Amino acid sequence: MTSDVGKMNETKSRSELSDIFYHLVRDPLGLVGLIIVGLIVFSAIFAPWIVPYDPIAMNIPDRMQGPSLSHLVGTDQLGRDTFSRVIMGGRVALQVAIPTIGGAITIGLILGMIAGYGPKWLDNVIVLLFDTVRSFPTVMFALAVVALVGPSLNTVILVIMVTSIPTYGRVVRTLTQSLRNSEFIEAERSLGASVFRIMRVHILPNVIGPIAVLAAMDIPTVIGLEAGLSFLGMGVKPPTPSWGSLLNDGYNLIRNTPWLIIAGGIPLILTTLGFTFLGEALRDVVDPKLRGRGK
Amino acid sequence: MIGYIFKRLGLAAIITVLAVTLLFLIIHMIPGDPITTMLGPRATPELRAALEERMGLDKPLPIQIVLFFTNMLRGDLGTDVFSGRAVTAIVFGQLPYTLALIFVSITWAAILGITLGCYSAVNRNSLGDRLAGILSVSVIAVPAFVVSLYSLLLFAVKLKWFPAIGAGEPGNLPDQFWHLVLPSLAIGLSWVGYIARLVRASMLEVLGEGHIRTARAFGLPKSWITYKYALRLAILPTVTVIGVGMGFLLSAAVFTEIVFSRPGLGKLVIDSITTRNYPVVMGSVLFSTLIFVASTTLADIINALLDPRTRKGS
Repeated sequence: MTSDVGKMNETKSRSELSDIFYHLVRDPLGLVGLIIVGLIVFSAIFAPWIVPYDPIAMNIPDRMQGPSLSHLVGTDQLGRDTFSRVIMGGRVALQVAIPTIGGAITIGLILGMIAGYGPKWLDNVIVLLFDTVRSFPTVMFALAVVALVGPSLNTVILVIMVTSIPTYGRVVRTLTQSLRNSEFIEAERSLGASVFRIMRVHILPNVIGPIAVLAAMDIPTVIGLEAGLSFLGMGVKPPTPSWGSLLNDGYNLIRNTPWLIIAGGIPLILTTLGFTFLGEALRDVVDPKLRGRGK
Repeated sequence: MIGYIFKRLGLAAIITVLAVTLLFLIIHMIPGDPITTMLGPRATPELRAALEERMGLDKPLPIQIVLFFTNMLRGDLGTDVFSGRAVTAIVFGQLPYTLALIFVSITWAAILGITLGCYSAVNRNSLGDRLAGILSVSVIAVPAFVVSLYSLLLFAVKLKWFPAIGAGEPGNLPDQFWHLVLPSLAIGLSWVGYIARLVRASMLEVLGEGHIRTARAFGLPKSWITYKYALRLAILPTVTVIGVGMGFLLSAAVFTEIVFSRPGLGKLVIDSITTRNYPVVMGSVLFSTLIFVASTTLADIINALLDPRTRKGS
């Protein structure tokens, strides 16, 4: 019987997924978001085949050029092709965003479900922990850690992940709490279902939607933070191209050439726009009640 | 009400103690140590020992934490490695710049955002509402430091309308304000969109509630209902969000201060990191955490004062 229910759940979730996709594509905002995000992910995956030049190869005679046919958005102070660096920078952005959000969601889900379903004292402890971690301004906290261990991408990932956990944890906790007393869960419980089964089969599928929305909205924040820290020289190390380090080069050369700043900022704006549109549309599809909440 | 305020302040105190302890422990757990950070790898053992003793790092960890707290309560956060000045004094010297920047940014963003949100809610689904909606979502997304860089490039370097660096002449208020225009534009822009959407959503919710309908049935003028009754409630989420958003504001201020070479907490941290001035880094981070906790607490209390219903919930 269990396997039958499992199969039913599977087909249901598959049709739900295509349903969500169908609604996303019909919403103009969602479609634009989907296209932008798709393009960014595509260019990040296939970056090595897209870039016209080696993004870290120096070519001093051609330094600080404006846009031309051979260099679409010009070159930097070392003659490196800016377009190639922008495309490769997308890789760094996603390399930071995916593990950061993935880790924060996983830990947030576990802690949130424990807090929402477990005993009251444990709930209090976890919520206090969330509130404590949330009381650090992320950038300041990241800078304090970087000051000690030195700039590195892993540090950036770890710090942003830890400070993002409460965002997910709190939402999961609230949702779990409201589900916990609903009749279908009570029925499961009286039939003798284990806590683990209730979590996996009933709570998890119900919280995953809002969490996906939150994640889509959060990805731009994470990418912006990585770029910001790299801009301050606290993220990726040169010569690795990141949108932030590109902006830093551009900032130092702002009176010589505007192209570096323009080229470094546009992908950041596009990424944030794409994911925000996608998140907005996803929210309307997943839960119309959630509209107008969360940053 | 007074009971609620005390309860909320108690919670804030607990969170502060936990946050400071956590910060302290993290610093001890992660691989780098402050002595190497400050003195460099070639420091002699004697030099290390002397500095360790001066900073109290030779004592056991629990004693260090207690010492740190008692010193903090006395307003002593250690001394600057180079100048020997008190960290508290240095931070207090920079703090007004950051607070002024944040205050100006959020003020113009709130005024514009609330106006836009009200307009959108009252004229729901009109062309203006739709335009405001698209505009809001678009500006929310752009990171503050990208706006900083673009506005620096356009308005300061190319058009030369506004100054590019610094905070203006001390004592010269108009000049200082002039220097605030671009940085506060950068920080406030995303908040305009965010607040506008928030106010619109909560305004629509409030306008559908019973007491507003009753007021309408009594024949009170529409503008009176909108601004006197509805806005008061519709503004609540904005107050909370600004309180909680203090962390975002502080983070945005760090970048903006660097881009515009403005003095402030953010520039202080970055400068201290590059010069390995460890106590100043810690002091600044601690201060920004305190500001953050204070602002979320204040937002909750203001919320409770404005809307008695929230008091019961928490």
